[in-house]
Amino acid sequence: MIIGLSVTGFILLVFILIYNSLIGRKNQVENAFSSIDVYLKKRSDLIPSLVGAVKGYMDHEKELLMEITELRSQANAHSEYSNDRIETENKITESIGKVFIAVESYPDLKASENVLMLQRSINEIEAQLSASRRAFNASVTNYNNGVEKFPNSIVASMMSYKRRQVFTLPLAERAQMDQTPEINL
Amino acid sequence: MKSLEEFQSFYQSDLTKTLNELELERKRAVKLVPLVVLGIIGLIGGVVGFMSGIMPLLFIILAIASLVITIICIVKIVGIKKPMKAKYKEEVIREMIGFLSEDLNYSPSGFISEGEFKRSKIFLKSADRYTGDDLVEGNLGETSVRFSELKTEYYTTNSKGNRTYHILFKGIFFIADFNKHFIGETMVLVDTAESMFGKLGTMLQKMNVSRPKLVKLEDPTFEKEFAVYGTDQVEARYILTPAMMSRIVDFKKKTGKVSLSFLNSNVYIAIDVSKNLFEPPFYKSMLDFELVKEYFNYLVLCVDIVEDLDLNTRIWTKD
Repeated sequence: MIIGLSVTGFILLVFILIYNSLIGRKNQVENAFSSIDVYLKKRSDLIPSLVGAVKGYMDHEKELLMEITELRSQANAHSEYSNDRIETENKITESIGKVFIAVESYPDLKASENVLMLQRSINEIEAQLSASRRAFNASVTNYNNGVEKFPNSIVASMMSYKRRQVFTLPLAERAQMDQTPEINL
Repeated sequence: MKSLEEFQSFYQSDLTKTLNELELERKRAVKLVPLVVLGIIGLIGGVVGFMSGIMPLLFIILAIASLVITIICIVKIVGIKKPMKAKYKEEVIREMIGFLSEDLNYSPSGFISEGEFKRSKIFLKSADRYTGDDLVEGNLGETSVRFSELKTEYYTTNSKGNRTYHILFKGIFFIADFNKHFIGETMVLVDTAESMFGKLGTMLQKMNVSRPKLVKLEDPTFEKEFAVYGTDQVEARYILTPAMMSRIVDFKKKTGKVSLSFLNSNVYIAIDVSKNLFEPPFYKSMLDFELVKEYFNYLVLCVDIVEDLDLNTRIWTKD
């Protein structure tokens, strides 16, 4: 009787410990997820200023600027973090890069304090975004280890916790991230 | 950055004259050392002879004479060594620093303050003995830097109440203004637990209550060498980008044991060096190029940190 009770007690205790650790790991993933969102939001807020600062000068890139504005409203429409949203955000990264390349051919713009400051802010946000993606991936790995390793996997399946995907970047963008962008001040 | 060849020709043109003068002084002092030894032997002999009771007067005269000779010689040696050291620092080390960069100031007796050493949070123990010298400060490009030699010790007391001093840190302590803005604290420390105990070590690190949370990073080489603790997981990764991690690993290969911390908008770097650097030699020749070259290499190592860690790239919001 006593042995039976203590075995049940022990199993219950282990169950509670695993249950709590899984909840902790899940919350950590959600927390890391929200920090990516914060930086995406910050970047999104900078887009109108960027478009405003350059549109007076850029005659040939009107379409590119329209596209960025369009992408921004598309991204804002998806409040949830779906695959569509990721794709739109990746396109925004690409378009911002194109705008700064275009800036190079306008000496007035290149020298403008305003544009330089915007470029610095966007660099900053991109660096923060990259860091928060990595923090997110680290928490997902931690969560996945928790969900898949034995005996946690039993509790995880009871809680219907499933493996999550880590954040990956398209190859072209990754190559861009690895390089330090050059700015001539 | 200056090459070794450039340094060699600078050594020939600017340093050899001073070093030759210093060498004469050094030789003058070294010549007195045998007299000190003789004096000590004479003193011991005199005391022993006096105690034996045979011809006590003769032996007491011998002892006193030896003592006087020893004291005179020691005073003379100290009298030569002190200005020699000052001249070496002023005319050799200062020149070497000026050769590396004109924007650096050197104060031979200055050092990084204990407050700053503590604020870096690299070392948890506080120092019971704290000394240092050879402070170099200035701007290298966009980055302001400061570094000096430090020797810090703490003591333990045994059951009999005797104090034993242990080295907490000895080497070069370097502070630079970091190129990115941040508000939290990130420490990159030598990973002893993980390299010794593997997975169990990581568990121990996680339980380390005296440090902020453990940050596990993706670079396996970096993770093997260092344990990272940070108050903010995202910020730690913002500072320790993949490029920065490989730069730190390369830097460690150059220096040996090194710990870093990123806080108060600065990067603090503690490089372990067992030798006492930037001091004139006494039993070796002043004209020994290897010694000067070694000091020069340590200076280059510090000045190069700015380049090694890419601190002059100021493309983010921090100026």
